[in-house]
Amino acid sequence: MTRADADVASAPPSVRSELVIEGTHRVRAGRSLADLWHYREVLRSFTSRTIRLKYKQALLGVSWAVLQPLAFLALFVIFFGRLAGVSGGGVPYAAFALSALVPWQFVANGLSFGTNALVQDAALIRKVYFPRELPVLGAVAATLVDLLIGVAVFLAVGPFIGAHLGVALLYIPLVTVTLTISVTALCIPLAALNVYYRDFRYALPLLIQLGLFASPVAYPVSSIPEQWRTLYALLNPFVGSLEGFRRVLALDQAPDWGLLGLSLVSALVVLVVGYRVFKGLEPEFSDVI
Amino acid sequence: MWAVRFEDVSKRFRHGGPRYSSLRQDLADVHRRVTARLRRRRAEPQGTLALDQVSFEVEAGDSVALIGANGAGKSTALRLVSRITTPTRGRVRVRGRVGALIEVGSGVHPELSGRENVWLYGSILGIPRREIASRFDEIVSFADLEPVIDTQVKYYSSGMQLRLGFAIAAHLEPDVFVVDEALAVGDASFQAKCVERMTSMVTSGRTLIFVSHSLPIVQELCPTAVLLDRGRVAAAGPTAGVVAEYVDRLADSVRREPSPGDLLEISRLNARSPAGDHRLKTNGTLVLEVDLTAAQDLDDVLFGVALSDGRLSNLIELNTRFTVGATPIRRGRHRLVCEVPSLPLLPGTYEVWFAASSARKAVHFLHPRVIGTVVVTTGPPERRLAAHYATSTAFGPVYVPFEMALEQHDGAPAAAGGPMTVDAHEQSG
Repeated sequence: MTRADADVASAPPSVRSELVIEGTHRVRAGRSLADLWHYREVLRSFTSRTIRLKYKQALLGVSWAVLQPLAFLALFVIFFGRLAGVSGGGVPYAAFALSALVPWQFVANGLSFGTNALVQDAALIRKVYFPRELPVLGAVAATLVDLLIGVAVFLAVGPFIGAHLGVALLYIPLVTVTLTISVTALCIPLAALNVYYRDFRYALPLLIQLGLFASPVAYPVSSIPEQWRTLYALLNPFVGSLEGFRRVLALDQAPDWGLLGLSLVSALVVLVVGYRVFKGLEPEFSDVI
Repeated sequence: MWAVRFEDVSKRFRHGGPRYSSLRQDLADVHRRVTARLRRRRAEPQGTLALDQVSFEVEAGDSVALIGANGAGKSTALRLVSRITTPTRGRVRVRGRVGALIEVGSGVHPELSGRENVWLYGSILGIPRREIASRFDEIVSFADLEPVIDTQVKYYSSGMQLRLGFAIAAHLEPDVFVVDEALAVGDASFQAKCVERMTSMVTSGRTLIFVSHSLPIVQELCPTAVLLDRGRVAAAGPTAGVVAEYVDRLADSVRREPSPGDLLEISRLNARSPAGDHRLKTNGTLVLEVDLTAAQDLDDVLFGVALSDGRLSNLIELNTRFTVGATPIRRGRHRLVCEVPSLPLLPGTYEVWFAASSARKAVHFLHPRVIGTVVVTTGPPERRLAAHYATSTAFGPVYVPFEMALEQHDGAPAAAGGPMTVDAHEQSG
């Protein structure tokens, strides 16, 4: 097909690069990451939109980020602290529990927002191209804001409930990064599977509830028998970071490097496998969503 | 040099169309495939082929129309070019940035304000932030939403939401511009703006791929066209020839969907001009030939043919009730010929409805249904083929020649006599 008009040639469109669209199921990490970088502005838009939407019509607004862990704290103090007599390992039980509840809330909200992120943006996915990872990453990033608020609240109330605040607080960025990696690693395959099977939407709240008890939030890691701890930290990628938060926020200790390393390894395995799942399902997202 | 190239592209939808499945259903599917493999046979691929080994090229700077009936694969082709979906086999190659003028309106986020949506959608569509900032006012005024731009979008009417989405997409500056028919959005003046915008993109040398049912606008905008028929390329090349091929296929084909209890069966519909070709003109003569077979002798048949543009009621009803009344018909094959000397329809594609009923009893010998299509390709000579009337749903499809004159009635001598064109802005006040 050639157009006869010669004047068209005088204004050729700028041709930057050739794009090949094909239905490959192979993961090309380099190409995907380059694409993500190219669309980084969109990630920012998704994040800020999710933050706005979260609190726009909520009467109590951002204070929900504070109220959620505090409500759990009351529950935990009564049931585990008083009735079950779980020890706080050197600090009052309230400080002990809250220091892990704050990051746990991030895990719970991040998983639930992240898993539903693609389905929430179905209308967009059907109409526009953007790297499909972005809504998921945006949801996790938006939840991260809640974590920062939670940590700030902990720093404010910590002294009154007996937390030892000290130099170990400098580790906060590190444990935040490792926890975020774990949450993202799980969200990516779950969000993709949720596009295909809405079963995940119903299963997820249950899994999160179970996860709370499978993680060292209400109880210390030390209550797990020594010989099982390695397996525990490998199977649950949140263990190392949650325990890390507790030591850093409440006990003024450095994270347990062994546990943190194991959880990080576990998270990276989940990330690699999960990303393959995501990429394998991605070509048909817009057809089935 | 090509800008877009389809190389042997096939697209299969897994479940006969976009929809999501349940885990249970897919487990059953896995079971089906495993048992097929155990019996050393390949499982038959399921689902529907929207595109079947499609290959074509679009030259840089060209504007190409994709035409074809519903379900021919036009929209799927556009979705592939704009990366929304991926091919099952083959590949699509694109040089340069692709922008799609599709209605993102329904994806506009209801809880956010119009302003926030412009930023969000602008960035998703790939407009850099400083460009959005510099064109923000232009986008808002294009959408005609200045007074409500800080209101949450959920309080907008559906038309306002669509206009917002469209206005953002229309301000992209892509190398390859992809437009779906959904252009028929909003009121006539907004549609005219969209067409104007598209035309200016084409004249500035961008590549355009345009999907439309509106043959007049296709002929106006696109020098080349590709005809898709059930997922395959049926014709490609200069628009006039491709459109003629399409019209021939449409005007000389019949939809056979007999319903139980019908005593008549339709085997062919041919919509033609008196010369015998399928190029119909506004105010020209239309001849409709319907070949039918009667299962038994019937002595009181009323035949009704109606033309519709897809709206709820018919535009034109041609019924023997108004002319010769009840007609007897013998068992066997017949041809019903219906001639309309001056067809008052503007260029477009119209459905042909057909029914046969008893004059005495409330009984249908053939239940009313669409049996085919009439295509008017050429408009009235006195109205230049302005794109806006061809796409607009605000203007009706009926055309009658008319004259309009203005007379002054307050005693002052009238302006020079004779019919004149009325321009409301100059003549009023």
